[in-house]
Amino acid sequence: MLKLVIPMAASILASGAIAQTEIVGNVDSKCIIISETPGVYGNPNPYQLTTAPTDGGIQPIIRYDVLAADYYKAVIEHPIDFSSAPTLDDVVAWTGDVEVSEMSDTNMADYDTNKVEYDNAHEYEMTVAGSTWFKISSAADYGFTKSFPAGTYTAIVEAECIPL
Amino acid sequence: MRFLVLLLLVSGSLEAHELTPTYPELRSSYLSDVLETKVRMWNARVDVEYYKIEVTDKDWNDVPFITREKTFRLEHLGKKDIEIFLPSDTTATYICTRSMLQKGNAQRSIISSKVCSKIK
Repeated sequence: MLKLVIPMAASILASGAIAQTEIVGNVDSKCIIISETPGVYGNPNPYQLTTAPTDGGIQPIIRYDVLAADYYKAVIEHPIDFSSAPTLDDVVAWTGDVEVSEMSDTNMADYDTNKVEYDNAHEYEMTVAGSTWFKISSAADYGFTKSFPAGTYTAIVEAECIPL
Repeated sequence: MRFLVLLLLVSGSLEAHELTPTYPELRSSYLSDVLETKVRMWNARVDVEYYKIEVTDKDWNDVPFITREKTFRLEHLGKKDIEIFLPSDTTATYICTRSMLQKGNAQRSIISSKVCSKIK
C-alpha cells in the first residue's frame, strides 16, 4: 500500500510545482516609433500642396514611446523634397513644422520650447518617460503660383530615435 | 506606471518600430580581430516590410560591418535577431534600422522611421 501512496504523493507534489508557471518580463530603456497617421496633402490651389486640415489635408502624427527618461532624443524632419512626383521643371518652395500635439505626462509640456531646430530637423530630448505625439505640417508651393502638373505626389517625414 | 504599460500594450497593435537593447556591447567573436554584437528588431508597422541596417561612427559616417542581410524583410509583428560583426579597431557608435518605403499611389506624406542603438 505504501509503495502505491508514495509515488502518488510525489506525483501530486510534482504537478503542483509545474502549475506555478512564471511569466518573466524585463523593463528596459527602449524607444518605439509609432506611425499613427500617415498624412495627406490637400490641393487648395493649383500651385500648392499642404497638410493643413483647413485646406483638405491631413497632418501626419507620430508617437514616440520611451520607457525611461533621458535615454533618447527624437529627431523629426519635415519633407523638403518629393520622394515621387511627376516631372517638375520649376522650383518648389517647402515649408514645414513639427510640434507636440499630445503627451502622456504634463512634464513634457516644455518639449517644444526646448527643442533644437536646424535645417528641416526638429530635435527633442526625451527627458520624461511616456508617450509623446508629434504633429507635422508640410506645404509645397510650386514656382511663382504655377500649377503643379497632374499626378501623384509623395513626400517622406523622417522620424528618428537616437540614444543619448 | 500602470498607465504607461497599458499605453505600450495598446501601441503594439499600431504601427511601431523598435530596436533593442539601447546600449549593446561588443564582444569577441569566434574570429580573431573581429567583434560581434546582437540587436533585436520588432516590426509592428503594417505598411513596412523591409528594413535596412546602418552602422555609423559618432559623426554619422558609415563604417564597415558585416551582417547576414543589410536589407531584410520582416513581416508585420515579426522579430529578428541581428548579428553584426565589426573589426576590432572599429569606430562604430550607432547601429540603426531604417524602414524602407515602397512607392505609394496616394497623394500623401509617408513616415520613415529610424531607431538606433548606441554601442557601449
